[in-house]
Amino acid sequence: MPVPVSQMWTVASYVIKQKMKKRKHFPVVLMLEPLMRCNLACAGCGKIQYPAHVLKKNLTPEQCFQAAEECGTPMVSIPGGEPLLHPQIVEIVEGLLERKKYVYLCTNGLLLKEKLHLFTPSKYLSFVVHMDGQREHHDFSVCLEGTYDKAVAAIQEALQRGFRVTTNTTLFEGADPTSVRQFFDEMMDLGVEGLMLSPGYTYDKAPDQQHFLSKSKTRDLFRKILSNRRDSWKFNMSPLFLEYLMGRREYNCTPWGMPTYNIFGWQKPCYLLQDGYADTFAELIAETNWDEYGTESGNPKCANCMVHSGYEPSAVSHTFGSLSGFLATARATLFTRYKDPTVGSGPTPSRTSGPLVQITSSQA
Amino acid sequence: MVTSDSAAHPGNPDEPALGTVHENLEGWVPAMATEEEIRGAFDKAFDYRGDLTLTLKDGRSIEGYIFDRRAKSESLDECVVRIMPKNDGAVRMTIRYSEIAGLAFSGRDTAAGKSFEAWVKKYNAKKAAGEKNIGIEPEPLD
Repeated sequence: MPVPVSQMWTVASYVIKQKMKKRKHFPVVLMLEPLMRCNLACAGCGKIQYPAHVLKKNLTPEQCFQAAEECGTPMVSIPGGEPLLHPQIVEIVEGLLERKKYVYLCTNGLLLKEKLHLFTPSKYLSFVVHMDGQREHHDFSVCLEGTYDKAVAAIQEALQRGFRVTTNTTLFEGADPTSVRQFFDEMMDLGVEGLMLSPGYTYDKAPDQQHFLSKSKTRDLFRKILSNRRDSWKFNMSPLFLEYLMGRREYNCTPWGMPTYNIFGWQKPCYLLQDGYADTFAELIAETNWDEYGTESGNPKCANCMVHSGYEPSAVSHTFGSLSGFLATARATLFTRYKDPTVGSGPTPSRTSGPLVQITSSQA
Repeated sequence: MVTSDSAAHPGNPDEPALGTVHENLEGWVPAMATEEEIRGAFDKAFDYRGDLTLTLKDGRSIEGYIFDRRAKSESLDECVVRIMPKNDGAVRMTIRYSEIAGLAFSGRDTAAGKSFEAWVKKYNAKKAAGEKNIGIEPEPLD
């Protein structure tokens, strides 16, 4: 099991408690963005396109703790921007750990190695290193050569120091399933605890608007990647969410499942869309018209979204909300192969060091 | 001006639209004579990825980033924009539509010209020139 039993128990008991209280709009993970600034400039990112005065702003540790207490989730994910650029990130992380939150500190890895000594290993703290694929794919995706090697060196150092480390991979149009599978092998060989995956999302504010995956392409891609799995692969995700990505089950969106707090306030309605901001979590829940969001709503902005922030909470809720969900999760945990003769599962070809793969759309 | 429509997904006419076609709004000063023009201008201002300058009816001018707008009410007097002023980091101001006389897309569109195609073009050109450590650096903030 890649995730500690104590974490699974904490999440399970939290979700079951919310269900028993018949609370409909309960969050599972707080997405805490303490700053928008980043030391990368990826074309597909919709999080960093702001004027300089906005990028210079930081949430204070007190604002971060207040947000964590307001929404009450057992897990806090800290994306950004690049959180390690925040001058008080250590204080923020330590404060959340003191509150017994399971913290996922997301990073592109560029500063991780030099800042590791500031943190203390804990079962409550995981570094989530953004890795979009093998070296060439990753460097091309994040628009900076050399990033992969720096991130791998940071992962190795973090593991050596006893930290929990997972990787987080966003897949865009043109991703090569064979290469992604090789990448999984590479990461597991490094010794990471588990892998996280998500299809890219068409952020309104992203400079690139052409390389995000449609829903049918997402399912096809993830079926190719996740069928005929190797035993060595561990995923730090809901197994039912992975089945959803493969097109094996359907879920409605739970946009309130991973609420986002940043320098503007509580983002409406979810981590991806920006339809405005609420000043409090209670206001976010009470004043957002949730029927307007999710694939099932007919909202064109949600039409192709299969992203973890909306659909993984649905899978988690399914797991702990019904016997069938629990049994499906148990089955998906025990039987991970997902044999599919229509998908190639041959031996992993040796790594190549050829030129970068140019991701192109059919219009390009 | 072009409207901000969704883009068709390349090669997949049956798929729901993907992406957003961003207008070139930098430098635009919209007409705000009718209610429709006012609402349309603030919708675009909300989506804009740069600073704007609001001229209030009392003569004040506020430059900053519009991060929120609440415009569902039928009365313009109940519709507001929320702005993070450029020169006052600690403040988030809420201003009624009815208090605003003019709007200008005065700041640079921070995402313009940064498409993936632009990156591919840059990469190929630098690679052909024999350069190493090719990449896009974040813009300086000062």
